[in-house]
Amino acid sequence: MIQLNNIEKYYANKGIKNYVLRLVTTTIKQGEFVSIMGPSGAGKSTLLNIIGMLEEPTYGSYEFLGEDVTSLNERKRIELYRNHIGFVFQAYHLIDEMTVYENIEAPLLYKKVGSSERASRIADLLDRFNIVAKKDLFPNQLSGGQQQLVGIARALAAQPSIILADEPTGNLQSAQAEEIMTLFKKLNQEDGITIIQVTHSEKNAQYGNRILHIADGVVKEDVAILS
Amino acid sequence: MFKLNLKIAWRNLWKNKGYTFINILGLSIGMASCILIFIFIRYQLSFDENFKNENRIYRVISGWTTPDNFFESAGTPRPLPAAMRNDFKQQFDKVAAIQASGGIIKVKDESGKERIKTSESVHYAEPDFFEILSFKWLDGNPRQSLSQPNTVVLSDEMADKLFGDWHKAVGKSVNFQNKVDLKVTGIIEKTPDNSSFPLKVIISYKTYLNQARPESTNWGTVSSTSECYVLLKEGASIEDASKSLPQFITKYYKRDNVSKESHRFQQLRDIHYNADLGNFANKVMPKKELYGLAIIGAFLLLTACINFINLATAQAVSRGKEVGVRKVMGSLRRQLIVQFLTETLTITVISLLVGCVLTEVALPGMQSLFKDHISFSIIEHPIIFVFMVILVLLVSFLAGFYPAMVMSGYSPALAIKNKITANAAGLSLRKILVVVQFAITIILIIGTLVVLRQMSYMREKPLGFIPTAVALVDVPSDSMAITRYHTLQDQINKIPGVLSTSYCSAAPSSDSNNESNFRYNGTVKSTFQANTKTGDENYFKTFGLEIIAGKGLSKSDTIKDIVVNETMLKKLNVVNYNDAIGKSIRINDKTGYIIGVVKDFNNMSLHEPISPIVINSDKESYTTIAVKLDSKSILPAMQAIEKIWNTVLPEYVYGSTFMDDKISEYYQTEKIMGALFKVFAGVIIFISFIGLFGLISFVATQRTREVAIRKVLGASTLELVKMLNGSFLLMVFVANLVAWPLAYLFVAKWLATFTYRIDLNIWPFVFAMIISMVITLITVSIRSYKAAVTNTIDALKYE
Ligand SMILES: Nc1ncnc2c1ncn2[C@@H]1O[C@H](COP(=O)(O)OP(=O)(O)OP(=O)(O)O)[C@@H](O)[C@H]1O
Ligand SMILES: [Mg+2]
Repeated sequence: MIQLNNIEKYYANKGIKNYVLRLVTTTIKQGEFVSIMGPSGAGKSTLLNIIGMLEEPTYGSYEFLGEDVTSLNERKRIELYRNHIGFVFQAYHLIDEMTVYENIEAPLLYKKVGSSERASRIADLLDRFNIVAKKDLFPNQLSGGQQQLVGIARALAAQPSIILADEPTGNLQSAQAEEIMTLFKKLNQEDGITIIQVTHSEKNAQYGNRILHIADGVVKEDVAILS
Repeated sequence: MFKLNLKIAWRNLWKNKGYTFINILGLSIGMASCILIFIFIRYQLSFDENFKNENRIYRVISGWTTPDNFFESAGTPRPLPAAMRNDFKQQFDKVAAIQASGGIIKVKDESGKERIKTSESVHYAEPDFFEILSFKWLDGNPRQSLSQPNTVVLSDEMADKLFGDWHKAVGKSVNFQNKVDLKVTGIIEKTPDNSSFPLKVIISYKTYLNQARPESTNWGTVSSTSECYVLLKEGASIEDASKSLPQFITKYYKRDNVSKESHRFQQLRDIHYNADLGNFANKVMPKKELYGLAIIGAFLLLTACINFINLATAQAVSRGKEVGVRKVMGSLRRQLIVQFLTETLTITVISLLVGCVLTEVALPGMQSLFKDHISFSIIEHPIIFVFMVILVLLVSFLAGFYPAMVMSGYSPALAIKNKITANAAGLSLRKILVVVQFAITIILIIGTLVVLRQMSYMREKPLGFIPTAVALVDVPSDSMAITRYHTLQDQINKIPGVLSTSYCSAAPSSDSNNESNFRYNGTVKSTFQANTKTGDENYFKTFGLEIIAGKGLSKSDTIKDIVVNETMLKKLNVVNYNDAIGKSIRINDKTGYIIGVVKDFNNMSLHEPISPIVINSDKESYTTIAVKLDSKSILPAMQAIEKIWNTVLPEYVYGSTFMDDKISEYYQTEKIMGALFKVFAGVIIFISFIGLFGLISFVATQRTREVAIRKVLGASTLELVKMLNGSFLLMVFVANLVAWPLAYLFVAKWLATFTYRIDLNIWPFVFAMIISMVITLITVSIRSYKAAVTNTIDALKYE
């Protein structure tokens, strides 16, 4: 599904190149649950952003679903966002002015899903995540864990084939974190959704089936987890 | 403390350079417009000031009530001043007549050779006139200088012109109208530009009476050139004096069943502002127009202040944390308000300085528009400085107070936790202000469109005659000149490029009009008056007038043949115009017969309806020779006409105008209005839209994170631009709805002052809406497009 070849990323500062990623080459297949780990500043978020097409690599090639996306045009990228990729953020990034229900609805509106279809999908998600009672509340009326649930529900609404999550539990307590991780595992195993997450916690990484260890922009280790 | 505030203010302004720039730009343009309007209004209000006893000085006004009309004139019957002096001894200290006129003044040198020949306006005045109005005398005094016949007083400027140096003028003599020699007996200081009394040559009133004019004793004729001024006794009231007027009128006027005479007293300080009555200087500025300008100025300032408030409250959120920290440190709310007001004051003062520069730049344009010398000198007029100080304080307060209240009111806890959102900072107030601002803008756009359309309508409306390429050349009307009329016309006709010529009393459309009572077909006196014009047999051809029944005037010097216009017959209820041919008209004590009917033409400005008109020939009454020219050879033909004129009439002074110039003079006020509307509408549009740009910039920055989130959810650029634009377009749309009825009231009222006017339809309104919406769309789209396409990852990356 994802094919990275010799991805490099650096920031030039006063003529000196500061490498964030060096010659990253890896393949991620459909249905995998990958955790990216490594010390702070190693380049994990950068890598995930490149996979999510939020950033462009300075060098290297990147194929998504067999298509070269290193220099994708705007329309194509929006197309991918609408149909294939869901994001989950550490800071949730819900829209403050919209209710839970409206937040989940937003990607469906962009995808131009019909209203009855929309209603049934949202009802389904609210039900599944046990947040039906909260649907008319605003983000600032929810706890962090609840907000992250909404964030995941929103990412799932458009029925993506892959979810990219940057430290989804970074702001949560361990009990809530566990809940989210179980959810991810379930999504991966039951719905076959590919998941790539960045995490600092060895425990969280165990929910997945593969770990990429990064340090100083280089992939040091690529281990599979046998469950 | 103040110094520290100023330093912080400076840093903050510098930090938000973009918004500061927008604020200063808007405010300085708004303030410059206000200053321009203020110095103009100040100049206009300074007319006829500084006369001693100005509150006791009045001009006598005459009025007539006819069955279907009432009109007034600033003139009085010639015998009135003397009668009033006699009958109002108790109420008035002084009563004086002044008569405006004009003529040729010649000065000879020692050897008796003619040195200067010039045509000047002159005034005959009684000595008392100068005791009522305190002009400055440089030499002589009114009592001695003007009490004898054949004496003249000159302004220093005129004396310099005639004799080289006014000090040498007294005792010398000038020749007037080739008839009398006048001895110079006094010099007055030149009257300033802002005076309704442009006195240059003042001849003693006894000289006027000496000319044995029949009208000097006639109570029945009034010319607007003979005015009468009175000085009320100290302690007396003008209302009491007015009570004696009915008695005065019955004593002197003969009863007449057509019109009823009346008089009233007009205050000196009203003379400059009353457009219906006019004055010697021909400079009037109705107070209504000054108010209109003041309102536009206020609107401009308001628009600029709204920009300021909007940007300041929008920025307030980002200042929230500072407020919280300061409050925790123990700052009082009052101190915070002072600090924020200091920032506003800093911006306002900078704007004023920039505004002064803009004023200086715009001043020449304004002076040429009003054809007046208007001064922007703080030393000459300290009041301008006072105005600017008030302006700065007012703007600082208006623009700064509300944002200061909002910002200083944040609770420290919320502020520090950064929980203040844009909503908290008066989003709805901002919306209302934007609507107000755009409503003002749209009213001005509509106003401008209507004014411009009415102006072009007036330019293009067929007047019923052809005013292009017609020169109006003055001719003297004394008996000596009349004997040379034939020669003059003959020679002018021979000039190549001259198509036809006609002697006449006035062009078809003219601001000098004579109205007379008449009898039609031997019946009783008519209930309305006819406008009389005289012209020779070529009058109709020269002006392109169309005869629609009977025939035009033929070559004759009598008044036997008469041509009337359609309105005349309509008012007399004559349906078939041919029925009128051959009927008699008795007018000005002479009887004539109708030989033709001329198609209606506009005989005054388009403010006025067409008058009933009587045209006949009368050699004695001609003042003008109208010359229709081939438009290709106007310049050489005019030079040739002047040359011939000067050889045929060497004793007189040549003067000429063009018919179209005369007509465009009627609309001087409208032209100025149009120009002002265009300029100020442009300025307001500019101010409003830079304000809008500032606001959308702010909103775009504020919503960066939201834009980023929506982008990863799959929103396209177009969808994002639409989202950011939406509320702005809605606000401008609402502003249109607010503006329409108000604008309708204004323009309908303005148009009502024209008898001939465009039909007010929906187009100016629709057009204003389209303009405002399109400009809004462009303004906000530029900014929101930029917001939608910038790489938004940073907004999501760290938090
Ligand atoms: N815009 C930028 N300009 C310069 N350097 C940058 C920029 N963005 C990121 N970096 C650098 O790139 C490196 C990798 O950043 P990245 O966010 O990928 O780290 P990370 O592994 O996600 O760290 P953490 O675990 O703290 O989230 C860091 O050293 C960071 O300083
Ligand atoms: Mg990171």
